[in-house]
Amino acid sequence: MAAIEMRNIVKEYGDGFKAVNDISLDIADGEFMILVGPSGCGKSTLLRMIVGLEDITSGDMVIGGERVNEKAPRDRNLSMVFQNYALYPHLTVFENIAFPLRLNKKVSEDEIRRRVKEAADMLELNEHLDRKPANLSGGQRQRVAMGRAIVRQVNAFLFDEPLSNLDAKLRGQMRTEISRMQRRLGTTTVYVTHDQTEAMTLGDRVAVLRRGFLQQVASPRELYEQPVNMFVAGFIGSPPMNFLPAVVSGQRLKLPFVEVDVPAIAADKVTDGQLLIAGIRPEHFEDARVLDESKRAKGATFRAQVDVTEWLGDSQYAYIPFEANAEVTKQLADLAAELDGEALRTQLIISIDAMSRLREGHEGEFWVDTRRMHLFDPGSGENLTRDEAAAADLASLEEEELRERTAR
Amino acid sequence: MKVSRRTQAYWIVGAVLIIAYAIIPVIWIISLSFKEGDDITNNAFLPTVWSWENYKTVFASDLFTSALRNSVGMSLIATTISVILATLAAYAISRLEFPGKRLVLGVALAITVFPVIAIATPLFDLWRNVGLYDTWLGLIIPYLSYSLPLSVYVLAAFFREIPWEMEQAAQVDGATAWQAFRRVIVPLASPGVFTAAILTFFAVWNDFVFGITLTSSEAARPVPAALAFFQGASQFSQPTAPIAAAAVVVTIPVVILVLLFQRKIVAGLTNGAVKG
Repeated sequence: MAAIEMRNIVKEYGDGFKAVNDISLDIADGEFMILVGPSGCGKSTLLRMIVGLEDITSGDMVIGGERVNEKAPRDRNLSMVFQNYALYPHLTVFENIAFPLRLNKKVSEDEIRRRVKEAADMLELNEHLDRKPANLSGGQRQRVAMGRAIVRQVNAFLFDEPLSNLDAKLRGQMRTEISRMQRRLGTTTVYVTHDQTEAMTLGDRVAVLRRGFLQQVASPRELYEQPVNMFVAGFIGSPPMNFLPAVVSGQRLKLPFVEVDVPAIAADKVTDGQLLIAGIRPEHFEDARVLDESKRAKGATFRAQVDVTEWLGDSQYAYIPFEANAEVTKQLADLAAELDGEALRTQLIISIDAMSRLREGHEGEFWVDTRRMHLFDPGSGENLTRDEAAAADLASLEEEELRERTAR
Repeated sequence: MKVSRRTQAYWIVGAVLIIAYAIIPVIWIISLSFKEGDDITNNAFLPTVWSWENYKTVFASDLFTSALRNSVGMSLIATTISVILATLAAYAISRLEFPGKRLVLGVALAITVFPVIAIATPLFDLWRNVGLYDTWLGLIIPYLSYSLPLSVYVLAAFFREIPWEMEQAAQVDGATAWQAFRRVIVPLASPGVFTAAILTFFAVWNDFVFGITLTSSEAARPVPAALAFFQGASQFSQPTAPIAAAAVVVTIPVVILVLLFQRKIVAGLTNGAVKG
């Protein structure tokens, strides 16, 4: 087990394209770090540079206090689970798991059998040990790949989108399994994914990447509550954060449906008449009719016509279209394209109580919790309302939790 | 889709014709090989009396037994060396980017279309000067140069099919490049290795032109060439029947090989062809 430090890592391809750009990241011993971002953000490249399958153009990769830039993958003592599992089709499950041990002449046959058995027990693969990978289901193959990773004592586990080939139900189960395994073994883990559910549930900390640049490294909670910019805010959360044009007018802020006070924290960062982008998460809205009276005063209410509703049993979403000027529309479309999505129209997605009987095409009264609203600079995307004190609080909480776990 | 009775009938007739076309000469040779003495002039397809006489003649003659030894030995050696070299070369071609890669493939292909007879005479002169004339090595070298390109082509197609991740996984698991190649890549490409080996073996086993030009004695003469020097029971009789017997004998190993590795060859050829 070891900590991984990356200092100013750059990956530049022959044509001058920089897939990874000046990334510095410290991963503590025993920590579960997620690398997340839309496709083409450089997350897989970074992972492959850690394991040594990709050359590092410049910067230092330090694993366990030792610079490994020039070391071959086999000398780095890491194990990796590939997206397509990369099992050896000509070997049985037992031999697949035993493969890394067999390469080390010093390990005795008894030791190999014991360790493979142990890994197979943990992953419930015992009845499949004599089968070939071709005869296994997707989930079983996935477990064999994990068995091959955990059978050795390694410095760190690396996962490259390991669950993306599984169906949704199995993915949920395997997610829990990976989390349990990592907690039990306490091995430093780096996990690449584009799925934000995996990012939020698995990671101690999450590193969000965009076009080769590191955007923010923080605990899932901090990413969600105190994003540093519009990209992180839009990437984390499902359904995504709503972005609305907001015009400063004196001490007030004009949004499409409501008018609120400029938040105190951003007051001296904005000028009168400036166009900002306000970000409000869907769950910070509510149908005013089912709202607690005590909450009502803490936000603002407005009336709007509902376009479409989606009732899911435990939750309900309503879509409310709004008009935005061309500049904001273009900005939102660009952001959506970068997040692997497509902005068809400017609309609010709001989450309302499942009990609410709002009807499509009718007008309703809504409440919005404006205290939770973020304001972004439309040019740089920077979050003007990020509460550094609250963020530091969350970070220290997370650190404490990790310390407590690794100490055990 | 249901094939109509009529088309089915055409297919069957066509198939029978083609099979007959291919198999009648073979059966004829087998039947000839069992005709004793002057029985070959009996104007009948089958021998009047089935006899092992020709086989006895063939195995009694030093010409044939030494030629058989030469053929088996040289085919095995040439096949082994060719497959090992081709595996390494094909791996390099499919995995590495190096300057002149296309040239290597181009030249390899050019060699295969070069007519054998055109280089047989110059090689005869050259070998006589360097002392390789009438030796095993003198035959194995040209065999290799003709069989390697084909083997490289077949194997390169196989290697290209093996995902990169296999090797990368092996490397991360702690394997050296050689270990990854030996323990992961070669086993996965084994159908290709078999195909290449069998194709090479056939080509060498059946060679006549090199066999007859580059040898002068029993030291290195392979079976196909030796058959040309066969004599009958007496000086004045045509050795047709003993030659037929010898031909049957040399065909047997080929038939056995094909039957044994039939599945592998078919898988090999189609794999390489369809996906490569």
